[in-house]
Amino acid sequence: MALNNAFTRRRILQLAGVGVAGTTLAACAGPGASNGGDGDGNGNGGDGGNGGEEPGSGSLDPSLAAGAISFAHWRGEDNEAFAKIIEQLKETYPDVEVRQDITPSNDYQSNALAQIRQGTVGDLFASFRGAQLTTMIDADLLVDLTDTGIADKYEASLVSEGLVDGKTLALPYQLVFNQPITNEEILEQAGASELPEDWDSYLSLLDSIQGLGITPIAWPGGEMGNAGQLFNCMIMNLGPSDDMCARIEAGDLKVTDDWFLEMLRHYQELIPYFQQNATGTAVEPAQQMFASGDAAMLATGSYHIASTRALGATFPIGMLAPVTAAAGEAKYVGVHNATFALGVSSVSENPDTAFALLDFLSDPAIAGQYGDDTAQFVTVKDVEYTNEDLSHTSDWVQKETLLAPRFQFNNLDIRNAAEGACIEVVGGKSPEQAAEDAQQIIDQQIGN
Amino acid sequence: MAGMTKTKRRARRAYRKERLVLLAFTVPALALYISFFIIPALQSLQYSLTNWNGYSATFDWVGLDNFTRALTNDSLFTNAVTNNLKFWLIVLAFQTLFALMLAVFLFRNFKGSALLRGLFFFPTILSSVSVAYIWKFIYDPNYGLGNDILGIFGISSSFLGNDDTAIYWIAITQVWFHAGQMMTIFIAGLQSVPQEMIEAAAVDGAGRWQVFKNVTWPMIAPATSIVMAYTTIQSFKAFDLILGLAGNPPKSSMDIMSTRIYTTFANSQYGYASAQAILFVIVIVALNFAVRRIVGLTQPKTES
Amino acid sequence: MGFKIGRAGILFVYAIIIIVPITVVMLGSFKSMGELFDSPFGLPESWNAQNYLDIIVHHDMGQAFINSAIVTLSSVTLTLLIASCAAYGIARLKGWLSWLIFGFLVLGMAIPPQANMIPQYVQFDRLGLLNSLTGLILIMVVTGLPVATFILGGFMKTLPNEMFEAASVDGVGPVRSYISIAMPLSLPSIAATSIFLFVIQWNELLYPLMFIQSPDKQTIPLRLLNFQGEFLTNYPLLFTGVAIASIPITIIYILLQRYFVEGMTAGAVKG
Repeated sequence: MALNNAFTRRRILQLAGVGVAGTTLAACAGPGASNGGDGDGNGNGGDGGNGGEEPGSGSLDPSLAAGAISFAHWRGEDNEAFAKIIEQLKETYPDVEVRQDITPSNDYQSNALAQIRQGTVGDLFASFRGAQLTTMIDADLLVDLTDTGIADKYEASLVSEGLVDGKTLALPYQLVFNQPITNEEILEQAGASELPEDWDSYLSLLDSIQGLGITPIAWPGGEMGNAGQLFNCMIMNLGPSDDMCARIEAGDLKVTDDWFLEMLRHYQELIPYFQQNATGTAVEPAQQMFASGDAAMLATGSYHIASTRALGATFPIGMLAPVTAAAGEAKYVGVHNATFALGVSSVSENPDTAFALLDFLSDPAIAGQYGDDTAQFVTVKDVEYTNEDLSHTSDWVQKETLLAPRFQFNNLDIRNAAEGACIEVVGGKSPEQAAEDAQQIIDQQIGN
Repeated sequence: MAGMTKTKRRARRAYRKERLVLLAFTVPALALYISFFIIPALQSLQYSLTNWNGYSATFDWVGLDNFTRALTNDSLFTNAVTNNLKFWLIVLAFQTLFALMLAVFLFRNFKGSALLRGLFFFPTILSSVSVAYIWKFIYDPNYGLGNDILGIFGISSSFLGNDDTAIYWIAITQVWFHAGQMMTIFIAGLQSVPQEMIEAAAVDGAGRWQVFKNVTWPMIAPATSIVMAYTTIQSFKAFDLILGLAGNPPKSSMDIMSTRIYTTFANSQYGYASAQAILFVIVIVALNFAVRRIVGLTQPKTES
Repeated sequence: MGFKIGRAGILFVYAIIIIVPITVVMLGSFKSMGELFDSPFGLPESWNAQNYLDIIVHHDMGQAFINSAIVTLSSVTLTLLIASCAAYGIARLKGWLSWLIFGFLVLGMAIPPQANMIPQYVQFDRLGLLNSLTGLILIMVVTGLPVATFILGGFMKTLPNEMFEAASVDGVGPVRSYISIAMPLSLPSIAATSIFLFVIQWNELLYPLMFIQSPDKQTIPLRLLNFQGEFLTNYPLLFTGVAIASIPITIIYILLQRYFVEGMTAGAVKG
């Protein structure tokens, strides 16, 4: 009890700043689904100093790399790929030790972030794109890498989120396409010589697939996090502007607006093409359906190509986003996102080594190797993939794709209301009713 | 006379000393409980009057605004309370019923009774996470066992995908999970009912049901109230089961009070979430009193 | 006769309802993902124990197992010790003070852990008890106290007071009464409480999730979460984990079952 007397209000708040990250626990349902709950950066209050200082400048020197660092991320499935790269790094810097601190993605927000702030893990660390990265930047937890010129090694259009006010603070590393992946064999059988780029030809493709006795789209409508990926594509060409979701959250646009209702009606049109009882399907069964050839498309994203292969699929896999526009009017043909951004911690005691690892990861050969091993794209320039799935679909990198709009929402309840309306429409609710219910929740959230 | 008073005084002193020692026995529990449980709870109470977002250094005192908001202007919260009450009613009714029925069948030893008791208790042993995984698999509309079984009757369901019934499917899982645990409490209660009383009633010509209604049911009142109190608390704390089955965050059709509080915390509305947590405690305590009252009416107390 | 047939029928149906999901898990632990989806009921194509090896060796379940054992055994023991002391004091004090203490401790069962977690996290951070098994044991003891006091207090109140009074007249103090009278007589209810606590604490997820960061300090439920990958949940591997995790608690249940039922009979029910 004496313990509590020692707390001053300011101190409690500081400490709670660390603490609160814990409540967010599994709050983020998937990549980028992060939200809120971030401290003020010097939360443990014990070191006093770092809050006031500007985080380090460009004095990083990878050639000084030596000693032990921690690399914090949530990509359990990348463990081996990273371990291999760390071994290769050691050939250049024999005195370097890198420990991977991997926390499952659902818990990353809570567990790892609190520790990163305290400097116990994560000399080099990953952040979810969106709210989490923004908070890390606001909390001055990222070293300014501008002077190192490392950003030049990346595709500028794909890493903009980490570049703030002309400063390089973090580098979005892994690139995914949040759009349905396709079984090209089935598409070919259905007579799709070219990918449809307008809504009518899209629907007629779905019809011909159904004519083959195959479910056109496997959609994990049972889980908000995964079901919402399709929302990205459905909204990309309908929003009055590219920041439509941010504007919904600001109260500037409403989900009862015509354009949103139009999107909901498109969802309605898709109902016969989803698997039976689609609103009850979790992501794993949807994957299984796609992998076994029972469904022609899986409405999640490119990140599921590798796991589909792990389920035994041998057919060629492509991608196809539903384009909701009339012929010739589509602005975007797909959606991309960077699942995580890498940055050097400003509370690290060994930033040189952390930077050395980041620099190494930014090498096209190493980045390509990572891409091949994990079957995911990277944002690094001039990378050549030997992985067949990647090289087969790498033309998407050059296509006109929108940065995934669902992650513009910072308020989790608002995002769920908007995306939930889509699921409810598939479940049988009328678009008007679903939109009205969702807007009520959004209004209540905005009002507070 | 003087000697008497002295003895009395000594006895009183000894008594007082004894009571002090007995009080000391509760001190370790109280000390730990107050330091690490009550004080944190009081801090939450304090935050419930603020608009603290959970991380910034400043906040405003907002009085009872958070409570007003939860009660009058938050359909997500109202929805979670409604879902939770539906969930609780179904779980309370069926879990108590099944637990009692199984206990009545199994409290006497016969061949295989120990094995069956063990089997029925088994789900309790599993963690909520495991139970959620198992049932998520069962409820899958395309591959799951659920529709295989319904298929026998020529019907199918989207289970958790149907917003009107999802919460009831979760209630079924909860009953599967915990009925066996409650069964053991009833078994214990039934075993304590004196056999002679039952036999005497039977001799008087009372049927099985009448014996149960007039003798057994009143006699197991303490067990019933433990079961109901425990079940009530469990149905409000069925937090990891819901997140496991419904995903995180759950769809609003499967959101209950504890998951709502959790999401509100995650949504950087710390003060508001604390207010919701306080309402949560009030609801549980009130429901427990209500249940106790209602059950008490059907079970006149037979022992002190 | 009708009763016996009805009873057999209902017990049979309920047994099926319990067995089927468990069987799917057990069989599933030997299958591949595709096999599991294609024929959840069927026998696995081959009974290879690859998943079991994988979990124990590759996913380091051994360490998690040890951590869980340390945490659960310590916290159950400590909770029982502290709660039985409190229950004893409460039972013998009688009167309003006794009720007040009992009610106060038991109220803890109604408070949602989410409400306390942040302030608790702050406290434990301050004490340097985060990311340590000691801290986890402490928090488990604290959260276990209400339910343990609820059951043990109920039992101890039924112990005849005359016994303690007689002992007191013989010059036996409260401490010795606790050791030589209350504890031996309470063994059945302690067994009952311990199985309850074992089940709760062995499976506890929320606090480890919040308090433990290092992989080498993770407990089993935390490890099981790992099979829920970001992009793919490996059901067969997960089911294997479930099977492995349930073994120790099953053994403890079998060992304690006899006492357990007796304990409940003797104790809580009369409370």
